[in-house]
Amino acid sequence: MAQPCELQISGVVSDIDTKAPLSNATLRIRENGRSTVSNAEGFYVFKDLCPGTYTLTVSHVSCLPVDTRMRLETNTVRNFTLPHDYNQLREVVVQGATDRQPDAVKSQLSGKDVAETRGLTLGETLKRVSGVTVLQTGSTIFKPVIHGLHSQRILMLNNGVRHEGQQWGSEHAPEIDPFIADRFTVLKGAGALRYGADAIGGAILIEPRPLPRTAGLHGEVNAIAFTNNRMGVINAMVEQNPATAPQWSWRTHLTYKRGGNARTPGYWLHNTGVEEVNGSLNVGYRKDRLKAELYFSAFSTRLGIFWGSHIGNLTDLENAIKSPEPLFNIDEFTYRIDRPMQKASHYLAKATLQKETVSGDRWNLMVAHQENFRQEYDRAMITDRPELDLNLGTTTVDLHFEQKAQKNPNGTFGVTAQRQANVWSGSRFFIPNYTSLMLGAYAMERFTFGQTNLEAGVRYDHRNLRTFRNQNNQLSETIRSFDNLAATLAMNRKLGGNWLWISNLSFAWRPPTVNELYVNGLHHGTANFEIGDPDLKSERAVNLSTQLRYGRDSSFSFDLTLYTNRIGDFINLVPVLPPTLTLRGAFPTFRYIQTDARLSGADLSVSKDLSQALQATIKGSLLFPWDIRQGTWLQQMPAQRIEADLTWYFRTGHPRTSYLTLNGLAVTRQTLVPDPLIDYLPPPPGYFIMNLEFATLLHIREKHLNFGVSMYNILNASYRDYMNRFRYFNDETGRNLVVRIKIPF
Amino acid sequence: MSRQLVVSLCIVAMAASLSCKKTGTPQDEAEHEAINGVDLVFKRGGSTVATFTAEDPDGDGGNPPTRIDRITLQPGQSYTTEVVLRNIVNGTSKVVTSSVTSQAVHHEFFYLPSGVAVNITKTDKDNNGYPFGLNATWTTTTSGSGTLLFKLMHKPRIKGPNDDPSKGHSDLSVSFPMTIQ
Repeated sequence: MAQPCELQISGVVSDIDTKAPLSNATLRIRENGRSTVSNAEGFYVFKDLCPGTYTLTVSHVSCLPVDTRMRLETNTVRNFTLPHDYNQLREVVVQGATDRQPDAVKSQLSGKDVAETRGLTLGETLKRVSGVTVLQTGSTIFKPVIHGLHSQRILMLNNGVRHEGQQWGSEHAPEIDPFIADRFTVLKGAGALRYGADAIGGAILIEPRPLPRTAGLHGEVNAIAFTNNRMGVINAMVEQNPATAPQWSWRTHLTYKRGGNARTPGYWLHNTGVEEVNGSLNVGYRKDRLKAELYFSAFSTRLGIFWGSHIGNLTDLENAIKSPEPLFNIDEFTYRIDRPMQKASHYLAKATLQKETVSGDRWNLMVAHQENFRQEYDRAMITDRPELDLNLGTTTVDLHFEQKAQKNPNGTFGVTAQRQANVWSGSRFFIPNYTSLMLGAYAMERFTFGQTNLEAGVRYDHRNLRTFRNQNNQLSETIRSFDNLAATLAMNRKLGGNWLWISNLSFAWRPPTVNELYVNGLHHGTANFEIGDPDLKSERAVNLSTQLRYGRDSSFSFDLTLYTNRIGDFINLVPVLPPTLTLRGAFPTFRYIQTDARLSGADLSVSKDLSQALQATIKGSLLFPWDIRQGTWLQQMPAQRIEADLTWYFRTGHPRTSYLTLNGLAVTRQTLVPDPLIDYLPPPPGYFIMNLEFATLLHIREKHLNFGVSMYNILNASYRDYMNRFRYFNDETGRNLVVRIKIPF
Repeated sequence: MSRQLVVSLCIVAMAASLSCKKTGTPQDEAEHEAINGVDLVFKRGGSTVATFTAEDPDGDGGNPPTRIDRITLQPGQSYTTEVVLRNIVNGTSKVVTSSVTSQAVHHEFFYLPSGVAVNITKTDKDNNGYPFGLNATWTTTTSGSGTLLFKLMHKPRIKGPNDDPSKGHSDLSVSFPMTIQ
């Protein structure tokens, strides 16, 4: 018999952790499409329902949605407690749980932007930040570039530790698994004094979210497939805060990645496969005012270098350039990785201790050790050994005192020590053995005047570099010392509404690295001879940046950065004549020289809702890299670029978890090059590529899977990028379809 | 608080002094495993009549090759030749020709004369029956002088029966001055 449709479901929606009522949670009945929103007390009600079985989806902007099936026969009260979405939770607790970030000019990548990059390398991930580009070596090696600067001029903080590898090499990608982090912060300019004065181009903070503090076992599994190089990536993460030992918590993660040859629109690129295994373990203890953490991470990769790029000498290079398609190639797919190739691994162990005083100030102690191994194999000649084989060990100790953030003024004071030892054992000399000792002390004070914060900082560093050489069984030792003072002044002012204005003036310096001083040899895979200069002085940078930022919610955001970075004694690798003559033929030769440089430019990122379902985003970067001493432009700097997104959020009424984005990226031909230009090929023409992003939540047995699809280069355009060192040899990769599934539990 | 500071400083000192790497005893920079000596051995009627050599004892970079002989042959003559490859470290030579002959299917020698009247034919084949060129016959005609570009091309998996001398990458590329008189 038909019953009247006058039943109701009602209840309260609250946060699972804080138990606070959640207002504006959306509740939707899938079967009849009706929806409602919880009020300020978290209360909701559906009236006039017919008896039957219903699926109720509850969602909130900062939580993961929850599905419930219920049979409705009488009026029912149903309360919901929502777990926080990890990415969102992070934003809420970050200020309390981790170190305060400096008031620097910065841009961040988190949430949706990070989810869309899962499976990519760190360099490709960071490319999404406006002002960040990549220096590429073929299709497998990506290094982030901030405002035209890269390698040893930018600093990477891998979970709070300065990442120390063989950063100097333009084909040495950072040995960091992006899966460890859910937030990437790019500090633009030299404002990151606390982490070292030598980051004259900026710093990248790669931050995992804090360990869980609410009881339970959680985790996620990510599975990603790429069509272009038939790459598969699998990642799993588990974390727990045991109910029986609430002061302890832990997290572990494991990633495996395997890809084969990449494909341009016209041909396969032979020997461009990659295999990577990474893992980490983090254990934390927290009681009262004490917090201690142990962190281990391992990264290990093996990647092929495209055959057609691995040329023997200048004649081979000229032949390769003349040919429209690679001369030395096997046009087929394989997962096999042969010589030439790279193997790199990185191990990090870190212990941190934080003690809060009764007055709310904090002492922080960190001790970390990292070992970096890098082996580079040219084509096999008369040995199976790698040509380049380097092992760098770095021990870092940092002690700093942070005053309570609410104090005015409040300060941070610290001392830091770092010792490094590098040993080479390849079949060919490239850089000498060395030990280096760095001692630094820094102080930063922050003053608040109404809506304005002022932060002033100074840092003093002493560096001692001892190199050891053995030339025809003659041992020799050289010691060089560098002493420098760096300073920064930052102003951060709240304008009306949610506008924020940040300005940053900093003086920083960078001592020459071992390769710039003493390199002498053939650079792997580039067929270039590089020759160092033992008399190089430190680079000195004066950086002025200003940023205007707006951001309240996702309906409108604005970020404009203007900067100028003047670098005195800029160390630059320039071609010289004559070429180096060997029994293998002649090789182009490059020397390190010093000049004065000025890098100026602008980054813009604007995003606006056009309607409830449509959002438009525009991003652009300009860079003018001027060589003051030579009166011309600097070589190998990123070209101007602009990017536009149009996003359609379908399934409105839900938080914005389901969307389709069409992205177009235009890069101009780099016309700002030295005059006269000494290069084998002029910069390639500009290009335009289109990409697609799609993501949604799938509901399977009351679980939610994040499902995403990306398609890069949907038009399968053939193009070459000036910042790819293999632009002489091959096109960029063609269309690539990526499917991502994330299963949280 | 001061006790904490002392403990911290001790840890700093300990960590800074820790090192187990042998940075102080580096390997000899001259020890490079590469072909840095080439001999072209000329025979007539089974006995060696001349050997012409190129050497770069400090390997790639550093100083340029110390020795590149002038190949001097007689007009209207026929020679059989063989290549000897050496690795020179600290003045000591080691013959490493077998490292290339064992991978003959991935390698090919080329002899590219310019300005001299000489006809060079490879007389050996790799296991696939493709030309190798460690051994050759040289037939001179008239007098003159020019150069002989000697190349060893490395072309794993792409070697064919009639390859252009530019295919692959150069393992060796030496331009010998040459005279026929």
